[in-house]
Amino acid sequence: MIGTLDAQAVPAGAVPALRRGHPLGSFVMNLPTVPDQADLDAPETDAERAERFEAEALAYLDQLYGAALRMTRNPSDAEDLVQETFAKAFASFHQFTPGTNLKAWLYRILTNTFINTYRKKQRQPQTSGAEVEDWQLARAESHTSTGLRSAEMEALDRMPHSAVTDAMNALSPDFRLAVYLADVEGFSYKEIAEIMGTPIGTVMSRLNRGRNQLRASLADFAREHGLIGGDHDA
Amino acid sequence: MHEFHDCGDILRSLYQFHDHELSDAEADEIRAHLLACEPCLDQFQVEEAMRILIRRCCSAEKAPEQLRMRVRATYTHTVVITDTTD
Repeated sequence: MIGTLDAQAVPAGAVPALRRGHPLGSFVMNLPTVPDQADLDAPETDAERAERFEAEALAYLDQLYGAALRMTRNPSDAEDLVQETFAKAFASFHQFTPGTNLKAWLYRILTNTFINTYRKKQRQPQTSGAEVEDWQLARAESHTSTGLRSAEMEALDRMPHSAVTDAMNALSPDFRLAVYLADVEGFSYKEIAEIMGTPIGTVMSRLNRGRNQLRASLADFAREHGLIGGDHDA
Repeated sequence: MHEFHDCGDILRSLYQFHDHELSDAEADEIRAHLLACEPCLDQFQVEEAMRILIRRCCSAEKAPEQLRMRVRATYTHTVVITDTTD
């Protein structure tokens, strides 16, 4: 199992680099020569880089997994997506400029990986399930009157987690990712634009529509499940 | 630069206000309006609560320990090699 993981995760060029730093490295014969001689000038050893990666990048594991869960909507795909993301991130970690935004960098890799592999795979079943109906969308976008009022806000305290994640999952992938990056991760519009590879105007439009839909379905949920008022439980 | 003429303009910019994506001058204008306008302040509070709810529900996810091990295995081969030689 581990052998399979290694083969898949480490690009060919990175293998000699890793072995060079290993205490048993001197026993390994026939090492391919490292094509990029500039690597040898780097003050950081491979072991040090792995250590730095562990300390800095692995700290985002939970966050990236949470994002991957929202993207893929199932734990098994989310795990594969996160593993692939970290493998790619480590392979190009030497290109990452320390001091710049590591979190945004990791999210960009996550998003690219998701778009390039998982979304293609998920294209067929994507239309099934909890797509938001047209009338719901129109209503959500026309006016905020379907939203909650502050007097109804205690409904939010009684909202089960699953209602929120289900409503998130019902959004289209682009809306869902934009909303997640903004509302959960707190990225700026500019960062989201870079992560998603779109102009800022597109980010704002996705955010507007995604948030309106999300808030409308949460308000609907609260009303349908008698979370508002409290006179009669559903 | 936005021009805020009425409540509709304010409400349309509320997401950006929450996101800290408005200029200082624009944000000041929104704040002044919210202090003077009960219905808009109402919407502001609901949006605030929504964000707290969404963040709370979506950031509760913790990566499974097995995933952490899988991820670590992608860059800590040395440990695996040492283990098999022992």
